[in-house]
Amino acid sequence: MKKEIAKFTINDRPYELLVESNVTLAELLREQLDLTGTKCACGVGECGSCTVLIDGKPTLSCSTLAIAVREKDILTIESLATREGLHPIQQAFIDHGAIQCGFCTPGMIMMTKALLDENPDPTEQEVKEGIGGNLCRCTGYVKIVDGILAAAESMGKEGGR
Amino acid sequence: MQSLKPFEYVEPATIEEAVSLLSDYADKGKLLAGGVDIMPRLRHRKIKPAFILNIKKIQGLDYIDGNGGDGLRFGALTTIRSIELSPVIRKDYSILYEAAHQLPSHQVKSMGTMVGNLCVGTPASDMATSLLALDAELKIVNTSGEKILPIEDFYIGVGQTVLEPGDMVTEVILPSVMPGTRGSYQHLVRTRADISKVCVAVWITITDGICKQARIALGAVAPTVFRAKKAEALLNGRELDQDVIEAASQAASQETKPITDLRSTAEYRKEAAGILVKRALNKTLERAKA
Ligand SMILES: Cc1cc2nc3c(=O)[nH]c(=O)nc-3n(C[C@H](O)[C@H](O)[C@H](O)COP(=O)(O)OP(=O)(O)OC[C@H]3O[C@@H](n4cnc5c(N)ncnc54)[C@H](O)[C@@H]3O)c2cc1C
Ligand code: FES
Ligand code: FES
Repeated sequence: MKKEIAKFTINDRPYELLVESNVTLAELLREQLDLTGTKCACGVGECGSCTVLIDGKPTLSCSTLAIAVREKDILTIESLATREGLHPIQQAFIDHGAIQCGFCTPGMIMMTKALLDENPDPTEQEVKEGIGGNLCRCTGYVKIVDGILAAAESMGKEGGR
Repeated sequence: MQSLKPFEYVEPATIEEAVSLLSDYADKGKLLAGGVDIMPRLRHRKIKPAFILNIKKIQGLDYIDGNGGDGLRFGALTTIRSIELSPVIRKDYSILYEAAHQLPSHQVKSMGTMVGNLCVGTPASDMATSLLALDAELKIVNTSGEKILPIEDFYIGVGQTVLEPGDMVTEVILPSVMPGTRGSYQHLVRTRADISKVCVAVWITITDGICKQARIALGAVAPTVFRAKKAEALLNGRELDQDVIEAASQAASQETKPITDLRSTAEYRKEAAGILVKRALNKTLERAKA
């Protein structure tokens, strides 16, 4: 089988990696690059835990071939916190108890980022629809919705990030 | 988690190159678009292609062109999300917007193409049901040329379309919308995230209060999506009143051939199909009066 050297931009860092064509983006991130923030629960597109952003679009990394997204701009949960601290979405999730076991959280937060990038001031209904592809077994979603609305508010005050 | 079996990966740059490779690979090749449907099948070893042919690098296949007055076209790489966000589709082809909008997963809508959804061939496709009511046509290309096929002739069984190895769908064509046309999309699901257990799309041209052309499409209640033509015949030439709506709903219910599966029993589906047709017709009437 063909192995190819391919260029990727992951979390604003350039990479040149030897990838096999049958490797998924989730496998590339977690196994080849040790970026284990991205979680993989169902592996078949049903749960959203593996969500990353590709050119800003929320994408299921379990259902994406790594080779197909070379040269693209890939953002994972590891891109959000900076030296100055947590991203406002991360902080709002913590402040509102939107995290219990945490397994859905990276996907939920990346989906939230995509949602707020597109619609910085969503209604509660728009938030609920926005995370319709992300399952959480623990929280019952109420606190996640609260966290997202609070994140939108704090990011609005800061002028976005 | 099980990894994917090895395959050769190719990225054709043009439609011509894609269909030529598809024809060379024959049943060893598999076309990949958004990957939402194929990737789980690869993971579960339901399909074992030697070649995966990714069409996402072909330029000029991601568009929505036209409007209700002139007819509308969209390409093989137009995502469900783009359809949902299109103001023209929302205004002129509302039932396609409704089918796209109800899909719960933002990620699936951003990745999945409308054409990919149609090509999976499941009778539970909300998109196929809606496009059948709209009388859409598909442009199918292979190495010997291209043809335009009504979506009504596209499905032959559960998960089966008329596509042969080497065929690629490049475009979906929607006819122009006659003045006075209204419709409604209705479905039933177990939970918000599950696929439809019954879905119905209604699209009717009403002139001076009389149904001139009625189309009623049903999904998940037969081996393929289908048009309830006996029910349509009861509407055409008549005023859309409660008696006519009741008769058409019952006729549509009789035309279903549902199965029992983990989502519902056949009996329930048959009855629910009639109720959904009634809801859709009443909603259409309400919209026609608005
Ligand atoms: C969580 C979830 C929820 C969903 N909810 C719904 C729902 O509510 N309603 C609904 O209708 N669907 C639903 N779906 C199905 C989803 O919309 C489809 O699986 C998806 O749109 C397939 O498109 P794709 O571009 O990803 O296709 P792919 O997976 O890339 O391809 C699918 C099939 O089509 C073939 N194909 C693709 N493009 C072409 C082409 N141009 N020419 C010829 N063959 C082609 C491929 O070879 C393959 O066999 C859901 C799926 C998931 C995972
Ligand atoms: S792991 Fe990708 S959707 Fe569940
Ligand atoms: S916090 Fe446990 S799955 Fe969401």
